[in-house]
Amino acid sequence: MRWWARRRLRTKIFLPFSGLILATLLSTLWLINSAVSNQLESNLRAKLMVTGEIFRGLVSERARRLTADTLLLAADFALKRAIATYDPETLATVAVNYRERVDLDLLWITDESGTLLAAAGGHQPAGRDIGSLPPLQGAIAQGREAAALSEVDGVLFVFVAVPVFAPDPIGYLVAGSAIDDDTAAALEKQTGSAVTFATATQLFASSWPRPERVALFPAGRLGDEALRRGDKVTFLVPFRNERLLSLLVPIESTLNAPLFALMQESYDRALQPLYALRRRVALIGAVALVGALVVGALLAGGIAAPLQTLVGAMRDVLAGNLHRRTDVRRDDEIGFLARSFNEMVAGLEEREAIKDTFGRFVSREVAAAVLDGGTALGGERREVTILFQDVRGFTSLAEHAEPDALVHLVNRLMTEMVAAVEGEGGTIRQFTGDGVMALFGAPVRHSDDPERAVRAALAMVERLPRLNRDLATEGFAALRIGIGIHTGDVVVGKIGPDERVEYSVVGDAVNLAGRIEGLTKEMQAVILVSGETAARLGPAFRFGRRDVVAIRGKDQPVEVVEVLAPGDAEGGLVQS
Amino acid sequence: MLVQRFGFFGTLTLIVLAAAIGRAAEIRGRVTDPQGKGIADAVVFVQAVPAGAVPFAAQPTAVMDQVHKEFIPHVLPVVVGTQVSFPNHDQIHHHVYSFSRTRTFEIPLYKGEQAAPVLFDKVGAVKLGCNIHDWMSAVILVVPTPYFAVTAADGAFTIAAVPPGTYSLAAWHEGSKEKVEDTAKSVQLGPGNADVSFTLSVVPRPVRVPIHGLRSFE
Repeated sequence: MRWWARRRLRTKIFLPFSGLILATLLSTLWLINSAVSNQLESNLRAKLMVTGEIFRGLVSERARRLTADTLLLAADFALKRAIATYDPETLATVAVNYRERVDLDLLWITDESGTLLAAAGGHQPAGRDIGSLPPLQGAIAQGREAAALSEVDGVLFVFVAVPVFAPDPIGYLVAGSAIDDDTAAALEKQTGSAVTFATATQLFASSWPRPERVALFPAGRLGDEALRRGDKVTFLVPFRNERLLSLLVPIESTLNAPLFALMQESYDRALQPLYALRRRVALIGAVALVGALVVGALLAGGIAAPLQTLVGAMRDVLAGNLHRRTDVRRDDEIGFLARSFNEMVAGLEEREAIKDTFGRFVSREVAAAVLDGGTALGGERREVTILFQDVRGFTSLAEHAEPDALVHLVNRLMTEMVAAVEGEGGTIRQFTGDGVMALFGAPVRHSDDPERAVRAALAMVERLPRLNRDLATEGFAALRIGIGIHTGDVVVGKIGPDERVEYSVVGDAVNLAGRIEGLTKEMQAVILVSGETAARLGPAFRFGRRDVVAIRGKDQPVEVVEVLAPGDAEGGLVQS
Repeated sequence: MLVQRFGFFGTLTLIVLAAAIGRAAEIRGRVTDPQGKGIADAVVFVQAVPAGAVPFAAQPTAVMDQVHKEFIPHVLPVVVGTQVSFPNHDQIHHHVYSFSRTRTFEIPLYKGEQAAPVLFDKVGAVKLGCNIHDWMSAVILVVPTPYFAVTAADGAFTIAAVPPGTYSLAAWHEGSKEKVEDTAKSVQLGPGNADVSFTLSVVPRPVRVPIHGLRSFE
């Protein structure tokens, strides 16, 4: 699994793909193979069985014909007279004559007790008692014809024995038709199956030519393997470079050992069509496999290559190169991924640029406005309302508080102050340690920026008691703040050296706003706005004291107006 | 040759006849098939003896032998009135018979020469067989005159010692499709020899096919 996990995507796509195809191919081959070979084997087996049946039929037909012929011969009066001579020499010629007459392999004439008088065919001497030969024994016992499959001098015969009546039996005719190599060859010609007649101790005849016969039956009898298999079961006999499907068919005979016809046919030759089919399927499969592998490789490459490009690009981005883009041009999911990546990095880059420009303290709203509205970030003169907020008595607080607690306190305060500014769409321009400087009207302009600034100031004041309550529980003294607001023309834009460029404001109005904030201490006021700001406020605001004060660095005195919070008493702060 | 064909007495008769006539001549010729190939074992004979011819001096005799389970000869022409004996020179029995209309007889299973001769007193073909050996066959052709001959392998024949005169000659063969009467030819025999030829269409005699039994067994 670890090995697999480490593989590249191309390998991960390619390997299962080709493995699947290979598995499909192999299983198809296997299926074809087993189905066809089973079918062929069963066909072949049926054929061998039929051959066996044909042989049985042949034996019984021969016995029938032989019986009919011999019955006719036995009824011949001339034969009866000839037998009546009991002259072996005459009878020998008579036997030859009669054998020729009905085309027998063997014709013997015996007397009424089964003693051989004359023989046409065979090596049995006249005078021998052959009364124990199965068909003759039966014929003598029953006084009528009898047939049997038996063996004489190593040759298998269909024998019939027929009594010669005059009118009592005066002798017997024993006729034989050999089951020999010719029979086997004829059977093979008829059925296509090689045939061998044999017992466990002797091979009688076969359609196999001599050399093959010697090779197949070295012991001159049925092999132990075949005998062990028994009949009705096919088995394969390896022979030379092929296999022979073999079947033993038992043949009823009067031999001491069970006689079998061994039917054999080349299994591999029968399977030739299958082999041809298999070769073709394999060839098609191989071509398909190669094709599939090529397609798979291309496909895997087509997926992996752009992904690798993306991974490379991603690494670059991780390393900080936000200018990196991919040039994967596709319309599919990968193309979408690449485009998304490009857009994402572009977004990151832009955001980074904005962050670089505005610092961290730009409200989402402002950032969105800048991004969406394409607000010019270049230098520009415009009217901006500037808000300065400060904590009263922060210096002494800073001296007495623990540093950690102090940072905590400032952070809490700043959170509230920033929330108040952002709540009105202002931009935090700067933190001054215990206060903030916020801009309204830059970089995003609203029609009511002065009112927004004052509302932000009111919101700051409004948030303070809750904060103070929290601080009180933590052991801090209540904070008090002062806020100064002024509206005036300033230059806004990205100001500063390349690396540290900031969105900033430059102008006298900024200084004046700071001065007005400073005045809150002297005037014991919470919110002071300049006359310019006050002039831009609607009727919703309540004003307190008005004054005209001289400001350091200003030729003209400046009008300042106190803005009252909703809970402030009218003029309640004027006592100073 | 003559003795074998006609028997001792037959030959003697011929010689006596020839001597009596004194100026006898020969009738020669060939019997061929339509393609000109000689036909063996055909019999050419004089159908009638002219008036005034000398009658037979003695009862003629002939022999149909049995050797190696065959009749010898295969074709035996005899003049009508001939006694034919059937000696069996095999060591086994034979059973000679004929069911021909010309002469029906039977010599049941016998050995040696004890069988009595058979008289053939009617003109015609007598086909012989052996009751226990199917392949044995022969023909005794009983002809009306002592002037006859059997063709040799090349179809040639010679009828010797025929007195001059005009004769009707006929040819017979066992397998001929023609009737003997239809083959008749008239021959004018003067002081010299006469030549006459016959053309017969003959069905060949079936050859005995040896049994094709078991080679391994025989």
